[in-house]
Amino acid sequence: MPRHHWIVRLTHWVNVLALGIMIGSGLRIFNAYPGFARPGGTFCCYPFEGKSIPSVVIFGGWLAGARHWHFAMMWLLIANGLLYMGYVYLRGAWRDLVPRRNDPRDVWAMLRFYLGLDREHPRQGKHNAMQRGAYFAMPWVAALTVTSGLAIWKPVTLGPLTDALGGYQWARYWHFLSMLALVVLALGHVFMVISVDPWSLRSMITGGWSERFSPEARNARPFVHLWPRRGSVAHPTATAPAAADVPEAP
Amino acid sequence: MNVSRRDFLTAAGLSAASLALGACDSSGPKRAESLLMRAEAANRRVEGALFRHTSMDHAPKGAVASGDEFPSYFVSDVVPVWDTAAQGAWRLEVGGMVRTPLSLSLDDLMKLERRTQRVNHYCVEGWTAVAEWSGVPLRTVLDLAGVDRAAKVVDFESFDDDYHESWDLESALHPQTLVAYAKDGKLLTPAYGAPARIHSPVKLGYKNTKYLTRIRLITDPNGGYWTDRGYEWYGGN
Repeated sequence: MPRHHWIVRLTHWVNVLALGIMIGSGLRIFNAYPGFARPGGTFCCYPFEGKSIPSVVIFGGWLAGARHWHFAMMWLLIANGLLYMGYVYLRGAWRDLVPRRNDPRDVWAMLRFYLGLDREHPRQGKHNAMQRGAYFAMPWVAALTVTSGLAIWKPVTLGPLTDALGGYQWARYWHFLSMLALVVLALGHVFMVISVDPWSLRSMITGGWSERFSPEARNARPFVHLWPRRGSVAHPTATAPAAADVPEAP
Repeated sequence: MNVSRRDFLTAAGLSAASLALGACDSSGPKRAESLLMRAEAANRRVEGALFRHTSMDHAPKGAVASGDEFPSYFVSDVVPVWDTAAQGAWRLEVGGMVRTPLSLSLDDLMKLERRTQRVNHYCVEGWTAVAEWSGVPLRTVLDLAGVDRAAKVVDFESFDDDYHESWDLESALHPQTLVAYAKDGKLLTPAYGAPARIHSPVKLGYKNTKYLTRIRLITDPNGGYWTDRGYEWYGGN
């Protein structure tokens, strides 16, 4: 059985494309008026007011071109997101993604391991607690980006939506803040894939996977133990109950 | 929208390739253009279907009017000013597919129903500015002329060089679409489109023709100054 269902793999890569184009074209649109202050006004909280976004990360060529890309690609992003969420909900895959009661503690355990304070990789299921947090947050943050995007696309026609977000200006803040959060999540994700689990690329493309290559079995932290342990089949402590599995006293 | 599998795969492949090559403000693969145009046509239908005359814009509570900081632009070399000596008195013509073509002076306009509204001005660039506009609801003018049932589009012409923009009739009939002659309680100055202009929060700034001379009812979209340069024809909020 593949580690990731084909719908998850397809929507993952379509998301890379759609989100990439949405962010690039969105920043190109922003460059037409690169700030948040109303004309004649000021804005407290953006240090680069009036400065253009560098051209390496923008896409669309010019304002109208970027708008065409943005308003075409948004439908792909929405359809793709709904397909993914529909799959995750209907097939129970959300069980691996929803944060658990012990996750704050387990995130701390992961951080201690990554920082070299603990020697052994904490026990985990399909994902570790940090991953669960990130993968769970991503769709909700994206939903906020899409919702606030619709609110600034149609501030009159969808007036109640725009008002619910605090009006056009606030909807614009939400749109950029949530986009920034998505960028941070995506960059963190890519960094961890490269530095801890490049083998996961295979499972996200073909679905193929073997326990031997899991970060847990490799005891992998960023740039350490990228290659599986010689002769190992699974995590050496996998048979012994870890402290995290002992039920807490009520 | 009819997108064949081949078109879709071509566009998907090309956009993936362009993404891989780095964004660098590329306008994307040429072959994706037809797909983008079809997406725009589909969006136009979605926007038209969502459009309601009961959806009203209002300036945010406590928002300060931009006053003289309200941005203005024109496409002529110098700010267009109606020259009464050379061109005769300014008049607004209403023609095309109407029962009674009209020719209205500024005084005529000011005698018609007046509406004053404090609304947003939405620029295509993403900024908004607040002003209080006064004028005649365009619907009042069009009712006076009697719009032919077959008319579907309104073209707004100006004396700012060849500037014009055409709109779907539904947006033109929205109660907040004005033939405006005053801003913030004062008659329009040349910077803001004197003697009269179209102003409506339901369309982006570039659709709001300034220096208005003629309102023409027609059957099909007739583009516009910015539309012909590649901006969305619908351009609605």
